[in-house]
Amino acid sequence: MRTKYFARVVSMAGVMGVAAGTAVAATAPSVDGLTLPAGFTATVVHEGAGAGRHLAIRDNGDLYLASRNGLVALRDKNGDFTADEVTPFGDVKGTEVRIFEGYLYASDNVGVYRYKLDPDGLVPNGAKETVVSEFPPERQHADKTFALDEKGTLYVNVGAPSNSCQQKDREAGSLGRNPCPILENYGGVWVFDGKKLGQKPADGRRFATGMRNAVALEWNSGQKALYSAIHGRDGLDTLFPALYDAVDNATRTAEEFHQIVDGGDYGWPYAFWDLKLNARIVAPEYGGDSKKTAEKGKYSDPLVAFPAHWAPNDLVFNSGRSFPKKYRDGAFIAFHGSWNRAPEPQAGYKVVFQPLKDGKPSGKYEVFADGFAGELADNNPRNARYRPVGLAVHPDGSLYVVDSQKGRIWRIAPK
Amino acid sequence: MNVRSIVVVAGAMLATACVASDQASDMAPVANNVAEDVGKALYGKHCLTCHQADGYGVPNLQPAIVGGTWVGGDPRALAMFVLTGGFDSASRKDGESHNVMPAFARLSDEDLAGILTFIRRKFGMGASPVNRADVAEARTNLPQPQ
Repeated sequence: MRTKYFARVVSMAGVMGVAAGTAVAATAPSVDGLTLPAGFTATVVHEGAGAGRHLAIRDNGDLYLASRNGLVALRDKNGDFTADEVTPFGDVKGTEVRIFEGYLYASDNVGVYRYKLDPDGLVPNGAKETVVSEFPPERQHADKTFALDEKGTLYVNVGAPSNSCQQKDREAGSLGRNPCPILENYGGVWVFDGKKLGQKPADGRRFATGMRNAVALEWNSGQKALYSAIHGRDGLDTLFPALYDAVDNATRTAEEFHQIVDGGDYGWPYAFWDLKLNARIVAPEYGGDSKKTAEKGKYSDPLVAFPAHWAPNDLVFNSGRSFPKKYRDGAFIAFHGSWNRAPEPQAGYKVVFQPLKDGKPSGKYEVFADGFAGELADNNPRNARYRPVGLAVHPDGSLYVVDSQKGRIWRIAPK
Repeated sequence: MNVRSIVVVAGAMLATACVASDQASDMAPVANNVAEDVGKALYGKHCLTCHQADGYGVPNLQPAIVGGTWVGGDPRALAMFVLTGGFDSASRKDGESHNVMPAFARLSDEDLAGILTFIRRKFGMGASPVNRADVAEARTNLPQPQ
């Protein structure tokens, strides 16, 4: 039986929005069933070049897509904002791609690399250079997303190959390893010199810890600060059924938005931000009873606590000139959408705008673009029509969104 | 015995014992509707979040079990698979799934028989039910922790 979960998801998101201090739905329909705030329109830049991940846009408007299948360069040759020239290149299959000082930086699960950009050509013609290599070849939370600051400091997300550092990963009742040894080499952000080649993980310095998987990682050049939206833990009900039920699992563990500071600790695996109690509570693997709060002041509180399992996969700060003023200092976050809310309705699958002033939340978040998933048949994310996974700001100020199902790319701009 | 060895042993069972399911037990098979309903509820509790209601799993994270060789194959090999879990990236054949499946040895023979009967009916193209005795036998053959 195909069940129409979409309406339930929307209504649930609305309810949760109130609970989490949020709201405002996207409204006007646009291409591909996307809904956007009044005054915006979306157009298709490319129909899809594979399993898309993140996107970088050069000053001249050339696009560089990271995908599970490899890098793809796309150029609009006639100014209609559709890609006319589409060329796969290189051998880096991964999530992150960025442009810095004339180089295209890209990563896979085990390293960060760069290609020198051709001054005129779309496709880099130089050899791949290795900036950092030999991260252990993990399978879980292995995407080495990264950010670069103005000086070329390279911040790499080294996700934890674990859900909650249990003695037996994802096994019901298994307690947490204490102290969690995974944190020695994973579960945080490591910094490297982005301009230096041939580095190994041991050459990096742990910048921040307690981050299960910080896929959405971005340097805010206005604030000169690093930000992330972090994937929270799964499986409260399946791992500790005496303490939590399926609704708790689907609604209580926040996706946390933080400014990431040098030496910061964001709590994983010992504690998580509970949306029901609006507090950081001790994880059940570490003696939590579903109510016990973590030691005060030990871990940072999130700037924003987003709904559980929405899966924040990219973050940009909109410095574009073309959007209305309220958007200019805020953050856009692409939520890939949940799998781990089942059997409760899945949720996420949208792009959200978080207003910021001086780097701090200045209002409730708003759903900016929605409607990507369409009807989620059987409540399974594999049936989503599209899933937003990557964001980039075009030099003209428009917002580009990448989908992971087909690699479709949209441009969203004021009408 | 390490995980790779478990796969080899279980795979050998799968290859050689595919027809033995219905005659293997002197206990009533957990094939009646009540047990299958129990199995469905237990699937919902222990398996559904990862493998999803439709059994197709989640791309890149957990594999589909619909039409799977393990699900529709020898019941004792399937029982051993679920009892041991822990198929790590080196030994897995699916090549795409990121998350490790935990062991379910803590569940009773009856509960596991119900779950396995349910998934074989629903996702295993109507494969035969699984008896409590099949699970019990698989459990006695589990490798001891090193």
